[in-house]
Amino acid sequence: MQGFDMSRRTFVGALGAVASVAGLGLVGCGGQAASGSGADAALTGSISCSGATSFQPLVEAAANDFMDANPDVSIAISAGGSGQGLSQVAEGSVQIGRSDVFAESKLKADQIEGLVDNQICIVGMGPIVNANVDIDDISTEQLKGIFTGEITDWEEVGGTKGTINVINREAGSGTRATFEDAVLDGAEVPDSFRPVAEVDSSGTVVEQVAATEGAISYVAFNYFESNEGVKALSVDGVEPTRENVESGDFNIWAYEHMYTRSDEDEATAGVTQAFIDYMLSDEVQNGAVIDEGFIPMTDMKVQKDAEGNVTAL
Amino acid sequence: MAKLMPKRRLENIGLGITGACVALVAIVVIALIFMVAQQGLTTFFVDGLDPIEFLTGQHWIPEQDTYGALPMIVGSFAVTLLSTLFALPIAIGSAMFVVEVAPGFGRRVFQPFIELLVGIPSVVYGVLGLYIVNSAMRGIFGDAAGTGAGILSGAIVLAVMILPTITTLSIDALRAVPNEYREGSYALGCTRWQTVWHVVLKSALPSLMTAVILGMTRAFGETLAVQMVIGGVERSMPSGLLDPASTLTAALTAGLSNATSGSVYYHALWSLGLLLLAMSLIFILIIHVIAKRGAKAHG
Repeated sequence: MQGFDMSRRTFVGALGAVASVAGLGLVGCGGQAASGSGADAALTGSISCSGATSFQPLVEAAANDFMDANPDVSIAISAGGSGQGLSQVAEGSVQIGRSDVFAESKLKADQIEGLVDNQICIVGMGPIVNANVDIDDISTEQLKGIFTGEITDWEEVGGTKGTINVINREAGSGTRATFEDAVLDGAEVPDSFRPVAEVDSSGTVVEQVAATEGAISYVAFNYFESNEGVKALSVDGVEPTRENVESGDFNIWAYEHMYTRSDEDEATAGVTQAFIDYMLSDEVQNGAVIDEGFIPMTDMKVQKDAEGNVTAL
Repeated sequence: MAKLMPKRRLENIGLGITGACVALVAIVVIALIFMVAQQGLTTFFVDGLDPIEFLTGQHWIPEQDTYGALPMIVGSFAVTLLSTLFALPIAIGSAMFVVEVAPGFGRRVFQPFIELLVGIPSVVYGVLGLYIVNSAMRGIFGDAAGTGAGILSGAIVLAVMILPTITTLSIDALRAVPNEYREGSYALGCTRWQTVWHVVLKSALPSLMTAVILGMTRAFGETLAVQMVIGGVERSMPSGLLDPASTLTAALTAGLSNATSGSVYYHALWSLGLLLLAMSLIFILIIHVIAKRGAKAHG
C-alpha cells in the first residue's frame, strides 16, 4: 500500500512540475493561488526542485514526509546536476535549485542577483584507495602532489612500490570542485596530467577504485562503507568523521545548497519557504540528514564562504 | 457518403496530406540544424573562441576555460576506425558463408540470430563492457591498462555493437548480386572461392562500402556504451590504445549536467553537437557518392 501511495504522489508531483514549468504565467494569474485566505490556512501549491543528484535521496525523503503532513502540497523532485539546478532556478523555471557548490562558482554575477542561498547540510569527503594500498594516512601536501601528477609512485608517500592510478570525477563535478579546493590550495593542475579515468558518479568511482590496483580517488563519507575493496585514508592524521568536520579539523567538506528566489511568485513562495524551513528543522537535521550520511548544520563550529575561506562560528 | 467526391478533389486532398508530411519532416530537420548551429556558433561569435583553436586545441579543461576539441575528435575517430577494422572481416566472412555456402542455414538460423543483436539496448553493451572487457584489459595488460578503460576497450565494445549492422547489410549486398554472374563464372571453370572473390565481392563492392559507412556512422554516434568503457578523460590527447580518452558524444553527455545554460562551457558543448552534426552529414554524403558511382559502374 505504501508503494502505491508513493507512486500516486510522485504522479501528482510530476503533474505539478508540468504545470509549474509550462504554465508559470497561469499560476501567476491566480488559477491556483487559493492559499492566502487566512494566516493559519493549510499550505497549498505545487513546487518543483531540480539539480544535484548527490543529496537528492535526502530531499526526496524529507519531501515525502512534508507532503504527508501537508496533503495539498506537491513537490516534484527531478535530477539534472548542479549546473542545471542553478540555471533553472536562476531562470525561474523551478522554485528550488539544488547544488553542491556555491552559485558564485557557476553563474554570472547578474544571474545570481535575487537568488537566496539556503545551506541545508554538510557533506564530508575524503580520499579513498584500493584496499591493497598499504598506507592509512596521507598528508594534504602529498595529495596535492598526487592529483597534480608530481607524485606517481606509492613509494614516494610511504607505501610499497607501485604506480598510483588517479581516478578523477568529471570536470564540473561538485565533489571534484570541493576536493580540489581543499587539497590543491590554488595550485593549477598541469595540462599534461592525465588521470586513468574520469568518472561521472561516486558509485562508479568506488567500483573502479576497488577493481584497480594502486587506485586513488575521493568520495563523500557515505560511500566509504559501500565496497570492501576500498579504504578511506586519514588526512594529516585526522580521521574523516562527522566530529572532525564539525570541529573544523577535517577540511574537505562542502555545503549542500537549495537555492530559491527572493522574488518568487506569491502563489508558491509560501510553500517553498515552508519546505526550506522544514529541511532546516530539527526533525530533518537530526533525522533524514544523518540517516542519509550527511552532517547537520546544527553542530558546526566552523563555516566556509564562497571563496573557500574557513572561519570559526 | 452518399455521393462520391469528385476525382480531382480527392486527388488534391491526397496531394495535400502527403505534401504536408514532407513539409513537416523538412521543417523538423531545418529547425534542428538551425538550433544546433545557432547555439554552437555562439561559442565563436559571442564568446569569442577561435574556431581553428577549438578544432585543433589539444586540451579540453572547462574549469580553466580551455576548449580544444581535438582529444575528443581523435577519440571518436580512433574508436570508430578500430571498431570497423575489428568488425569488418568477421561481418564479410559470415556474410560470405551464409550467402554462398549455406543459404538455408543463413536464412533460418543465422539472420534471426544476428538481428537479435541489433535490438539489444546500448546500455547492456556498456555494462558488459565495463565488467568483462575492462577487467580483461586489466588482466592482460596489468598496470599499463589502469582501470582497463581506454580506446581499445571502447573499440571492442563498439565492434560488437556494429557487427550486426554491417553483417546484415553485407548479406543483403551479396544476395543482390545476380545469380547469372555466379553461373557465368562457374561456366568459365572458376572455383567457388574464385567466384566469390573475383565476381561476387567485386560487384557487391559499392553496397559493401555503404554497409561499412553505416556501421561507422553508428559507431561514431554511439554514446552510452562508449562512455561507460572509455574512461572519459578529455583534458589532453590520448597517447596509446590503452590510454583513457573520450569521444565527442561522451563528452557532450557528461558535460551537460554540470554546465549552466548560457555559460561558455554550455555553448562549447553545443559546438561539439554541431561538429557531430557536420560529421554525420559528411558520412551521408559519402554514402550518396558511393551509391552514385556504383550505379554508374553497373550501367
